[in-house]
Amino acid sequence: MTGSAAPSSADVDQPPLRPSLRERLARRPPSLGFLVGAGLLGGYLAAALSALVVFRSSLDRLPRNAAWVPPFNPIGPSGVHPFGVIPGFGTDLFNAIWRATPWDLGIVAGILTIDVFLGLFLGAIAGLDEGGLVDSLVTFAGDSIGTIPTFLLAAVVFAGLLTVAPSTIGLPVFVVVFGIILWPTMARTVRERARTIAHAPYVDAARASGASFPRILVRHVMPNSLGPVLAQVPLDIAPIFFVLSAFPWYYTCELPGGHPVPPYSPPTPYLVPYLPFFSPLPSSSFPEWGYLLGFGTCEGFSFPGGFNYWWMYLFPLLAIVGLGLAIGLLCDGIERWRHFDR
Amino acid sequence: MGDPAKGARPGAEPRAGGGSARAPPDGSHRWVLSGFTRFALRRLLLIPAQLVFVILVLYLVIDVPVALTQKSPESLVGINQGFYQLVFNLFTGNWGTSTFVRFLNGGGGPNPLEPIPWTQIFAYYVPTSIQVAVFALPIAAALAYPVSLVAGWSRRPGLDTPVRFVTLLGALLPVFVVGTLVLNALFNPYLNYFQDVPAQGLLPADFWFLNRGGYPSWILYGFATQPTGFPLIDAVIHHAWTIAVISLTKTLIQASVVAVAYVAIFFRHARSIARSVREEVYIVGARSRGVPESTLLWRHAGRAVMPSFLLVFALTIPEYLGVQFAVEVAFVDPGLGYLIFASLTGGVLSPLIPLVFLIAIVVLVWAFVVDLIALRLDPRGAAAA
Repeated sequence: MTGSAAPSSADVDQPPLRPSLRERLARRPPSLGFLVGAGLLGGYLAAALSALVVFRSSLDRLPRNAAWVPPFNPIGPSGVHPFGVIPGFGTDLFNAIWRATPWDLGIVAGILTIDVFLGLFLGAIAGLDEGGLVDSLVTFAGDSIGTIPTFLLAAVVFAGLLTVAPSTIGLPVFVVVFGIILWPTMARTVRERARTIAHAPYVDAARASGASFPRILVRHVMPNSLGPVLAQVPLDIAPIFFVLSAFPWYYTCELPGGHPVPPYSPPTPYLVPYLPFFSPLPSSSFPEWGYLLGFGTCEGFSFPGGFNYWWMYLFPLLAIVGLGLAIGLLCDGIERWRHFDR
Repeated sequence: MGDPAKGARPGAEPRAGGGSARAPPDGSHRWVLSGFTRFALRRLLLIPAQLVFVILVLYLVIDVPVALTQKSPESLVGINQGFYQLVFNLFTGNWGTSTFVRFLNGGGGPNPLEPIPWTQIFAYYVPTSIQVAVFALPIAAALAYPVSLVAGWSRRPGLDTPVRFVTLLGALLPVFVVGTLVLNALFNPYLNYFQDVPAQGLLPADFWFLNRGGYPSWILYGFATQPTGFPLIDAVIHHAWTIAVISLTKTLIQASVVAVAYVAIFFRHARSIARSVREEVYIVGARSRGVPESTLLWRHAGRAVMPSFLLVFALTIPEYLGVQFAVEVAFVDPGLGYLIFASLTGGVLSPLIPLVFLIAIVVLVWAFVVDLIALRLDPRGAAAA
């Protein structure tokens, strides 16, 4: 033992080298699901950026062709209108979905950012402080708020706040409200993981070496609690688009006696898009996928038992589901890759 | 009876109510609650506190902003009040009155000019939701249990990956669209067979009754049945067998849509539980002794996952209710979903606080019962108790 391999003090003090991202990618290439998800999301981002450039000054309103507004002989998908035309709006559906892409990506990104930040932070603190005051408060608040279905709480809170907030800031208020409402589910799952991590040997070692509570939280617990976040994020997209699509659909299509017609609006013998009073959208010609889906479902099923006007709801639905799948595949891919890397 | 301490053994002696008697050294008698009872009492005491917290949130987001705006009294009935008064009124069942039923029935109702207590309005609308739930929950369980267990158990990516993909897709599809698609797909066959439409509640539609001489006397306002309020039961009580068959068919259609949509949500949570059971030591040990895989899956893992599956169910009850409300709305049922959507889109805020309060009670009590069942089924919980 004496001559050969005794490590020097410099070797002992030096922390083991962590493999770089490139080395880790070379060791374990991303899965097919990850690549498909990343490709889809890249396509959405490209569509959003191009919409920002092409529709720079008119991004917040749909173009209206008066000849396409009546529902008689609606124009289906063709070379000129790849996604067909949606009556009522009187607009080309491809154009409408493209124009809506930056808005919807912004809404989803804003809500999920707040959701992930709050859920991860509060869940990790609660898990690290298991049995303490913070844990009790976070768990109690989360469990209590979690008793109400997400879409209902979001709609109720938003409807209440909109009685005092001007409707012009409805969309930012909606994003903040929805992000705050989604945190309990996220925090609940993160807390369970954080509880386990809080008792892991490396966290005990960090604690013994004098690491502070915030350092353990940020350096060890939060990064290692990302698994539940990645599993929950795709599920949190569903209620966002549910609220954005279901209420316009109900208001236009199902409200008993029909929706109240705004004053001074000309009478129309057919469906035209109106927004319910608590809608986050600033105007009834605002491009948004959920709104298009809600109205398209109403208009597309004007004749019960028929599927003749399928394009009116299918393409907005595909835009929403495609985004959810892209994020879902990306999250699943990242999670698998993280597991393998360990 | 004799001295109670006389027959006391060291350790616990089970008693009625889950308590146990222990004999301290001084010979006195002392009740010690079992772990199960302590858990149940703690959860039970927490329910009122959670309800007060929910009311506080609603007060801050509805009552305070509405009080600041001073809008017309029609939409503020039962809202504009202090927090303590609100809590007192909600807990004592004083949920205010409304002429809202007029609006819901397009002009019909008991007396269009006379306000009705919200409790009475809810009594008209709740039975429809309960009837759908009674059928939807067993169908959901029958689907969710084997699908989650088999997909989580399987090591073949050819099974797990498609199931995960399909359930993610199912979770992302807005339920009202799925409901509308099903409604339209069934519309013509249903019309041909029953001379009725598959929507408009769990009773036959208006025109069906009008073609047969009008509504019977046990159906009020076109949707509220007597004496129980449940359309299926009341039809059976009055020997209206055709109405009972139509009601059952409509309920089964809606319950199936609710169940399929809910399974997509349930599966995302339950799959990992089945996966973790697969790696348990006793399962690996049994497999090494040559126990067939099907026995391991259905006899061992199937029992082991049951408490955890029940806990997932308790956690996802709000999601379940959200799915059911959306399906009710798609099928134009006079249920709780109908009340929620009509009040929100119509700008009538007064029923929202009692409605959310009612839903919070349902969720908390339901989760409490499911938690207790899960704890009873869990061998670790039983041992602790």
